[in-house]
Amino acid sequence: MKRKMAIRGFELVAVLLTFLFVFYPASAKAQKPIKVGVIDTYTGPPAVFANDALNGFKLALGEINKKGVLGRKIEFTTRDDKWKVDLGMSVAKELIMREEVDVIVGTINSSITMAISDYVKSEKVPFIVWISKSEHITGSKGHRYVFSTGENTAMAGKAGGSALAKKPYVKYWIAGDDYEYGHAIAEAIWRNLKAQKPNVEKIGETWWKTGEPDLIPYFTSVMAAKPDAFVVCGGGQTMTNSLKACKTTGIHEKIPVFMHTATDHAVLKPLGLDAPEGVMGTMDYHFYYPETPANKAFVKAFQDTYGAPPGFPAFHGYITAHFIAEAYKKAGAVDKEKFINAVEGLVIDSPAGKTEMRACDHQAVLPMYLGVTKKVPQYNHLVSSNIVTLTGKDVMPSCEEIMKARGK
Amino acid sequence: MDLSAFSSQFLVGLSRAMILFVVCAGLSFVLGVLRVPNIAHGSLYMIGAFATFTVTKLIAGSAGFWIALIVAPLLVALVSLVAERALFCHLYQREHLMLLLFTFALSLILGDLVKIVWGAEYRSVSPPALLKGTISIFGASLPRYNLFLLIIGPLVAIALWLFTSKTKMGKISRAAAVDREMVGVLGINVSWVFAAAFVIGCYLAGVGGALVAPTASIIIGMDHSLIIEAFLIVTIGGLGNMWGALVGSLIFGVTQSLGVLMWPQFAIVFPYTAVVIVLLLRPKGLLKSVW
Repeated sequence: MKRKMAIRGFELVAVLLTFLFVFYPASAKAQKPIKVGVIDTYTGPPAVFANDALNGFKLALGEINKKGVLGRKIEFTTRDDKWKVDLGMSVAKELIMREEVDVIVGTINSSITMAISDYVKSEKVPFIVWISKSEHITGSKGHRYVFSTGENTAMAGKAGGSALAKKPYVKYWIAGDDYEYGHAIAEAIWRNLKAQKPNVEKIGETWWKTGEPDLIPYFTSVMAAKPDAFVVCGGGQTMTNSLKACKTTGIHEKIPVFMHTATDHAVLKPLGLDAPEGVMGTMDYHFYYPETPANKAFVKAFQDTYGAPPGFPAFHGYITAHFIAEAYKKAGAVDKEKFINAVEGLVIDSPAGKTEMRACDHQAVLPMYLGVTKKVPQYNHLVSSNIVTLTGKDVMPSCEEIMKARGK
Repeated sequence: MDLSAFSSQFLVGLSRAMILFVVCAGLSFVLGVLRVPNIAHGSLYMIGAFATFTVTKLIAGSAGFWIALIVAPLLVALVSLVAERALFCHLYQREHLMLLLFTFALSLILGDLVKIVWGAEYRSVSPPALLKGTISIFGASLPRYNLFLLIIGPLVAIALWLFTSKTKMGKISRAAAVDREMVGVLGINVSWVFAAAFVIGCYLAGVGGALVAPTASIIIGMDHSLIIEAFLIVTIGGLGNMWGALVGSLIFGVTQSLGVLMWPQFAIVFPYTAVVIVLLLRPKGLLKSVW
């Protein structure tokens, strides 16, 4: 009797186990979340921007996961590339091979982005770039698996060049960070300016090492050269330092100054009310502009969650998450190739209005806001004023130009 | 070339050299007396700058900066005193390579601590109202703050000279630099002499950090860009020689700013070319090294 019961018990366990084996994986598969791997620089100065982008991304995921996508949640895992190409590559491999992520997003460093972009192309994993600004990412080096939700040097250059072409200045001095990004911005601005106004003349150039703390000697030497206008090109920290050097030397009161991201909140905020007024700059997002209900709602949600208004990286992170969610809804399945087909030409509602992911080059169509720095009573820092909006079509290279750059 | 542009550029270079000098004098002092190549010196400079930011945030108006100029270096001195008593005092007898690795590790730890305390955002300090704007000296325009630096630099040099040559403490540290065992034999507590010398050296890093705060953005990573320049300067000046630090800083600061004026595309290489030339001609540095 006892033995019979033992057999019965065994049978019961076996049946239960069989049930588990047959049904558990299927049910688990239905629940399996969509996995996003985030690679960015969370060490050193660029961490300010990387964290901002991640916060925007997390905020959007919070909204998306309330309803879910295809009955699943979107989860993410982050990796720090420490601003190093080799490390960025190894974490990309780890995310794809071990974590088996469905999508990779990141990074702030264009060199790392290009390396990962090459790798995802061979692994056939979609990669959405949210801060890196090299125009080659979706331009000459673009391919089926890479996308960008941020502006790039070609767009910033065209916006800056078009803006300066309307001004009466002829003699220009160009200065900036001596690395790829600084030169890329300078080259793009000059190329567009020269094309629209052929009589402009470059009377000199100055390049300082990236992260140069004290730019005053550089600015005083430019003042001595007396150009009609001064163009500064560099990363975030350089922009803050340059504005500081403007204020100290008073150069902006004598010579008009254009710095492509002078009007960025992350650049202006550290200087408080001590930033110089009247410096020209371009930006693809401001938390105070456009004053639409969508932008206000996004800013409020972000401010309530993180205690500070969103910067441009947060905006990019936010729309990246929404592009991912909407693409999976459109694709109807968690499949990498179907996902890519769905993202191409996808239009989402973003804080800046309807935003399209251009099918031909995988570049988000974003407007550029041209403005000058100004003090306003409602903020304890300067903001961009007299904003002129250049639409995505105005500032982006055409699909033909992109295909030509890709050699197709 | 316009003479006023040249002189204004020269003065800006001189004033930049003054900040470098204050930091390098401290580094050189520690190198001379303790024989410690302190890579964490740059981190202490960074802490000085961040502490200046905090004080100016707490105390509004111009007073904030002046108080920070006193408080921030003292805070750095306190940090260095703790580091010296807890860590450095056990390591003076080790080889230089070991000390180099140890101070490098310490610089990474301090860098991360700064990130934890102050975060990764850019910080900025405004110069006090008195030192805002520019001033014209014989037709050369110079930011007022840079003029202030031109005054502070020599004051620090004089104070250091008075300390090392006129005070008993200073004389003991100089003697300890030459022959530490003999100083011990004379019944002097060498351990505390070393602690004091270390703290003074680090205090100067703090002063440098406070002085640089209004001229640049304060950010993690500012330590590493400085420490390389600082080591080059003390090397070309002569290791452990305070006047060498002054000469090295002047060469570095002035060649940089004049290089920017004369050959802007290649401005970066000027100070380093000067360093190479000096080291080719005088491998042990311009002035007498105590090593």
